[in-house]
Amino acid sequence: MLLQIEELTKVYRTGVRANDGISLAIGEGEVFGLLGHNGAGKTTLVNQVVGLLKPTSGSIRIDGRDMVADPGLARRLCSFQAQAQVPIDGLTPRQAIDLLGQLRGTARTEVERRRERLIDALDLGAWQDEDAARLSGGVKRLVAFAMAAVAPGRVVMLDEPTNDVDPVRRRLLWRQVRTLADHGAAVLLVTHNVIEAERSVDRLAILDEGRVIAEGTPAGLKGRLGAALRLELVLDPDASEIPASPFGLSAVPVGNRVMVGVPMDAAGQAVAWAESLKHAGSVEEFTLGPATLEDVYVALVGGAEARPAQVEEVFDATAA
Amino acid sequence: MQLLRSYRLLVTWQALRKKNYLPLMMAVQTLFSLGIVLGYPLLFPTLDRTSIYLIATGAPAISMVSVGLVALPQTIGEQKAEGSLAYMRSLPVPRLAYLVADLTVWMAIVIPGVVLGVLVGAWRFGLELQVSPLVVPAVLMVALTATCVGYAIASILPYMLTVVITQAIVVFVFMFSPLTFLPDKLPAWFEAIHSVLPIQAMGEVTRGTIAPNEFGLPLGAFLTLAVWCFLGFGVTYAAMSRRG
Repeated sequence: MLLQIEELTKVYRTGVRANDGISLAIGEGEVFGLLGHNGAGKTTLVNQVVGLLKPTSGSIRIDGRDMVADPGLARRLCSFQAQAQVPIDGLTPRQAIDLLGQLRGTARTEVERRRERLIDALDLGAWQDEDAARLSGGVKRLVAFAMAAVAPGRVVMLDEPTNDVDPVRRRLLWRQVRTLADHGAAVLLVTHNVIEAERSVDRLAILDEGRVIAEGTPAGLKGRLGAALRLELVLDPDASEIPASPFGLSAVPVGNRVMVGVPMDAAGQAVAWAESLKHAGSVEEFTLGPATLEDVYVALVGGAEARPAQVEEVFDATAA
Repeated sequence: MQLLRSYRLLVTWQALRKKNYLPLMMAVQTLFSLGIVLGYPLLFPTLDRTSIYLIATGAPAISMVSVGLVALPQTIGEQKAEGSLAYMRSLPVPRLAYLVADLTVWMAIVIPGVVLGVLVGAWRFGLELQVSPLVVPAVLMVALTATCVGYAIASILPYMLTVVITQAIVVFVFMFSPLTFLPDKLPAWFEAIHSVLPIQAMGEVTRGTIAPNEFGLPLGAFLTLAVWCFLGFGVTYAAMSRRG
């Protein structure tokens, strides 16, 4: 594996344990998603890989080389799109991308060629000579992505790359993320956008309170849920209790909704059950659809009220 | 080689970032100088020759100190708070190249204010200044020390504390620092404090080279500046290289 993280722990001086024994491995050509709530420890992890933070314990290796011992090498081997906006006010996107490419050691003419291709691919041509101070947040994030992609390192880390980006350009951006991997980079993608991650990553890990609580392919994780379908119930505001699932799988509450895992062969039974709840007045409406990664995510780290007993329940049911 | 290449590219980046800021900064510094050379005679209608020269040479010194010890730390503090400094630190460039490039751009912001300050003073008081050739290294030394110390303040303190400290520095520099008056006007204990701080030395070096016929050029002041410059740079470099 190209990027190998083992038993990584980071405890801040304030005593906060932001990463707690994280182990991950990401290969060449792989897009790996790191999912989790705000404060789950995702950015702390990325900042350690790129050498901005020093781990309390554990190791980070790229191509077998120790990144904790040599943060200068880590910065050369990783390109990075930070969660914060890039400091490019006063520069045009063209200047910003060119400067970053050259700072990463690529020759100017080659950088210019790649910049033109990226600006086309992300449909940024209309803004390429505008002062970044006048650009919208979404366009600036795309420029920040292009800065990370113009001369990519062996590992490319993208921290919430699609924030504020419009839906059309998001698709363009995901295509470029895949292109980076196709050219041999290991892409570590940090996001809390589960729906996008499901479509875009090869594998993912879900982080909660500094720990990896699940890891696998999107399909594999959905399989662990034990339900091919999800029944979403919208509760009546006056309903006093959450309906108990008749399928041996838990009902996970999220706000005024309840997600119920349903085995494929119980689809008819699920609809009948939901209809009866609707007639009884405890449910306003319901939908039945294929289970998504979001269901896994919600089951694992969903509403605070769903944890931690809920997590055990879901996976106990899966194992059963 | 990589150091030089990184330095050149980073100077371009930082200069472009500040290009909208430069005219504003020059306007503020000119106003500072104008305020000092026009304001002091209003407070003290009869000024002796020494006081006139002190005010005329104090204005550019105050201008350098204000940018280096006030505007710079506030800007760097903001960059720290918003995360953009961390982004710059994540770039694959030597820390030294980044720091020297940023200091170069800050110095470029400081220097025009000095020239304007001198011109405004000479114009207001009708002075014919016999500027020493040493003025170039002297002003560079003062500007570098002010920017290094300012950078160090922002590097080691949290943003809010940086804002508070720099506000206090403004009052301290304008009212209680021997830039537009001689240190012997201060109580002995305060004079002793100023003899180790860099501000008095900045004033001495500036006036000693802008008006060498009026003021001496104490070599000790250069030494004080060198020590503070080295300290400021060292602290900043250590803070930049440190992993939290």
